[in-house]
Parts: sequence; structure tokens; C-alpha cells
Amino acid sequence: MSLPTITRLPSARLLSSLLLHHQHHLLLPSIAPLTVPTRLIHAEYRRPGKPKENLWQKINIDFSKGMKGIKKNFTLLKNEFFDRWVGPEGKPILEHMLEQNRVVWEFRGPESLEHWTLSSDREVGGQSEVYLKLGKNSNTCFLYGTLNCTPPRDGETRYSGYCTMRSKQPLASFDRKKHHDWSSFNTLHLRVRGDGRPWMINLATETYFSHQKDDIYSYFLYTRGGPYWQDVKIPFSKFFLAYRGRIHDTQHPLWVDKVNTIGFTLGDKANGPFQLEIDFIGVCKDYAHTEECAYEMYKRNPEV
Amino acid sequence: MNPYVLATLLFSLGLGTTLTFASSHWLLAWMGLEINTLAIIPLMAQHNHPRAIEATTKYFLTQATAAAMLLFASLTNAWLTGQWDIQLMSHPLPTTLASLALALKIGLAPLHTWLPEVLQGLDLPTGLILSTWQKLAPLTLLLQLQPMNSSLLIILGLTSTLIGGWGGLNQTQLRKILAYSSTAHLGWMVLVLQFAPSLTFLTLIIYLTMTFSTFLTFNLNNSTTINTLATSWAKAPVISSLAPLMLLSLGGLPPLTGFMPKWLILQELTKQDLAPAATLAALSALLSLYFYLRLSYAMALTMSPNNLTGTLPWRLLPSQHSLPLAISMTASLSLLPLTPALTALFTL
Repeated sequence: MSLPTITRLPSARLLSSLLLHHQHHLLLPSIAPLTVPTRLIHAEYRRPGKPKENLWQKINIDFSKGMKGIKKNFTLLKNEFFDRWVGPEGKPILEHMLEQNRVVWEFRGPESLEHWTLSSDREVGGQSEVYLKLGKNSNTCFLYGTLNCTPPRDGETRYSGYCTMRSKQPLASFDRKKHHDWSSFNTLHLRVRGDGRPWMINLATETYFSHQKDDIYSYFLYTRGGPYWQDVKIPFSKFFLAYRGRIHDTQHPLWVDKVNTIGFTLGDKANGPFQLEIDFIGVCKDYAHTEECAYEMYKRNPEV
Repeated sequence: MNPYVLATLLFSLGLGTTLTFASSHWLLAWMGLEINTLAIIPLMAQHNHPRAIEATTKYFLTQATAAAMLLFASLTNAWLTGQWDIQLMSHPLPTTLASLALALKIGLAPLHTWLPEVLQGLDLPTGLILSTWQKLAPLTLLLQLQPMNSSLLIILGLTSTLIGGWGGLNQTQLRKILAYSSTAHLGWMVLVLQFAPSLTFLTLIIYLTMTFSTFLTFNLNNSTTINTLATSWAKAPVISSLAPLMLLSLGGLPPLTGFMPKWLILQELTKQDLAPAATLAALSALLSLYFYLRLSYAMALTMSPNNLTGTLPWRLLPSQHSLPLAISMTASLSLLPLTPALTALFTL
């Protein structure tokens, strides 16, 4: 006797409609599942109202892509192996010791924009827009868009309106996490041209516990609106520790030997267009600056 | 930290190690190790910085794992042989397991990966306690274990010297360099453990002296990276001239003290017909020597770009007591002629 073959199970809607009409008479096979899952991969929480996305259409399975990946990873591995013989971070020790300035991010071509991720409150249902493109003569990056502080109507969000650009985590071969080691430097140096709006610079360092995942060191960047470029130097000691926008009670100095990402956020509650042009982001060593942390911790409780 | 709390913790550290020294029962020895671990945890976490807490957590997890393995090994030994004496462990299984547990405790390769990260998260004085005092108790137990599996100790030793050398090559953070140096030196100690335990003890004491002076030098200069070490000429010129010699002593160059253990160990290994192991160990010492040489170069042979606008710090009164540093630096530079006396002194 041949086993009954179930080639296609009826979809959930059909079954539920059947159930409604024939609640007492329907006999479903007890071994088969009630529904066929239409989405096997759950990417992230889908807010109500957001359109369902079919992830299978986005995945690109291609042999040439695989070969490119293998080549890239093995090249990175080979470089890591041979850079060791040159010196720390692939530079000779004298060069490492003499280094006082380093340009970390520079925008000289379209591939430099791939190191940056944009996001705005559109992800949570708001209406701000943010775009990134290369500036004139491919010399700068141009972050622009519109800030809209109308909160999304989902019944739980009260405030909204933010746009941010964040650098991607540097990766070593085979997608292992790598960190920026800025321990020879103590100041962040940017050259920007803004429109007068106050931005926040966020530095995310490597953390260990899962509850520290969103620990970010922030400071402010006040831009002038003029046509002239602005050189901004912020010592790392000025950055304060915050978690998801809430400032920590106990402040710690920023340890720059494992920096993961830098980000620029705009959230100044002013509706309207914005733009920020960045020439370069670098780090430098200011020998005259000896402060380790700008925020004193006062003793609040009797010391044990 | 409150001085009473600090005193309690330091006394507990001393108590733990002394308990382990004085015990012949595995449980008492394990208890001493646990007291050591628990006493140093608040010392490591006192600054409350996220990286210090991370280092403390990693340290606690590895040490607890090692202690659990050690307890399991002693339990297995008690089951198999019916007694808990440390020196009468005669079955190879618990001996190997205990050796591996103690290797994890002290940071021998391939169980060394926790050590650089943990040392990096600590300040220099706590790192000093971790690198020196915390090695005493586990090494005492290793010294008392009967060698069952001779190749295990040789493999641990050679791997440690090689990985200690290679791992430290491109570090710019001084604490990570000292962590890899610790692994390398412990490798030398363990290489000769089964042939001449007195040499292990001698190497340990000399390593403790040299590491003590290194940490104190870095603490005095308040330097944690090679770049800040390079500006130490303005802080204490005498130390800047002696510290390179001390670093070369760590690297095992004659006529400094650090040459003594390496020479005696190579001699012993050759006598035991382990010439290839001796050659490999000697070659791996070159790797470690390279990064010590790099530190000496940065400290003494370069004038770092530095525009000090105020009074040079060496003109001002010293802020730290330097007597312990003076004693240990003298010891780590000039004890080579006393080799016969020291060998006789440390013969077990």
C-alpha cells in the first residue's frame, strides 16, 4: 500500500477558513503541521504597518561571489601574517613611535562610503530621511537629509527625530572583529562644514558583557554654518559614557585601545533639512593635553 | 581603597599562598588557591572601569575552571589510589589533569589566551601581584607532582616559549608584552621541571625579581605603551639608563642575571639528551629577546618627540618610594657571578 503523499499542504488562511465553516467535521492529518511557515528567517522585529519583505529575493547565491569572498579573506590573512614581520599594525616601530597624527577616515572615492552605515528614525516608523553621497570633486562626504520630529503613531513612542551615520566595525580576515588602536593618540581631529546644527559624536568601544553592548562615549560637535571649513579637535578625555542616550552615573575615562565605531548623530528637535560635509576624520596626539577624564566622580556614599 | 579592606585582602593573598605551601592534602592546597583567587578579585575590580571588570571576570572564570579541574583531578586520584597526598599522586590520569589545571592557572600555552587581556585591563600594581605572587602557589603544586607524562611538560614548555615569543612580537601595550613574557618564562620553568626541580625554583625566583623591577619601573614612569615609555628619559634618567639592562636581563643576555636560568636549563636539557628541545627553546628565546630589545631601544636609544613646556619632571622631588625598585633592580642585573651560591641555595 502506498503511503499518502502530501505534496502541498493547504495554507493557514485556507485551513482557518475551513475550520470556521466545518468546525466539527474536519479531520486533519495528525502528523502534518497545521501551517507551512512562509518565512523561515526572521530578520528583526517588524513594526506594524511595515511591509513584509521576502528575504529569499534578497539573497544572492553565486559562485563568483563565493570566489571573491575566498580571495578577499585569504588576501587579508596573508597580509596579517606578513605584516607581523614588519612591525605593529604593519608599520615599522619607528614609524609607530613617531606617529603623531593619523587620518582614519578620508572620503576620496565611492568605496569610502561603503565604510559607513546610515540610519534614521524611519526604522522605528518616523519620517526623517538621511542620505550620504560624495561631495564635490570626490573630496568630501556629504551627509544630508531632512529631520522630522513627528513621532510614529504606534502608541508607545513619544519622541522621535534622529539621523545618524556610523562607521562599520573593522573586520580582519574571515569576518573577525578588529579594533582601532588609538592608544598613541589623545585627540579626535575632524574637518567639517556643517549648517549650524549641533551634532553628537559617538565612539563605541569594545565591551564584554551583553548589557554593555550599547555603551557609547559621546561628545558634542557644534557646527558653524559658514562656507568656511571648521577644524574640530576633541580630546578623548572629554567623552562621557552614555547608554542608549542616558548618561551613566559613574563616568569612566575612554580607553582608546579598542575602538569599534564612530558615529555622528543629529537629534536637535528642529524639523527641517540638514547637511554635514566631512573632509576627514583623524586622530592626533596633543602633548599639552594631560587630562585623563574630564568628569570627576564625587563620593556619594560613605566609603566602605 | 579603605586601608583595612586593603590590608585584609593582602593578608588573604598571603594566607592563600602560605596555605598551599604548607599543605600536603589536595583539598587544603585547592583551598589556598581559591582563597588567592577570591582575594585578588576585589583588588582587580577596585577601579570599577568596564575594562577592569572585564579583566576580573575573565580571570575569575579561568581560575575557577582551573580550580574545578584540579579538584576533579584530586578526587580522581583519591578514588584510584585511596589517598589525598599531593606527593603520592601515582596514576597518570589525575597527574596529567592536575598538570593541565595548574597550567591554566599560571597561563602556560596553549592555555595562555586569558593572560594578555586580563593584564591589559588592570593597573600596573595589581598586574604586578598577578604576575608574581599568583604564580607561586600553582608552581609549588606543579613542583610536587610526580612526573608521569614527561612529554606533556616538554610540549607545554616549548609551546609556551614559542607562543610567548611570537605573541609578544607586535604588541605596543606594555602589559600585554609582560603577559607574553610571563608565558615564555613559565615555559622555561616547566621545561626542566621533571629533570631538575631546583632549576625551576631558581628560574621562578629570578623571574619574580626581574618582573618585579619591570613593573615597578613602568609604574614609576606611569607608562603603559611603548610611546609613553619613550618619554621616560625626562622623568628619571637613572632608571631610564638601567631599565634597558633590566629588560635585556629578562631576555636572558649575559652577563646579566637573566642569563643564569637559561644557561643552567639548557645545560640540564643537554645532559638529559634533549638537544633538539634545548635548541628550540634557545631559538625561541631570541623571539622574546627581540621585543625586549625593542623596549630597550625605545626607552634609552631614542629621544621621543616631546615638547615639555614646564620643568622637566626629574628636577622635582620623586613621588614614589624607589627602595624596593633599587633592591630588585640590583638583584636583576648583577647576580650572575653568584650562580654557584644560588644554585646551592635553591637546591630542593
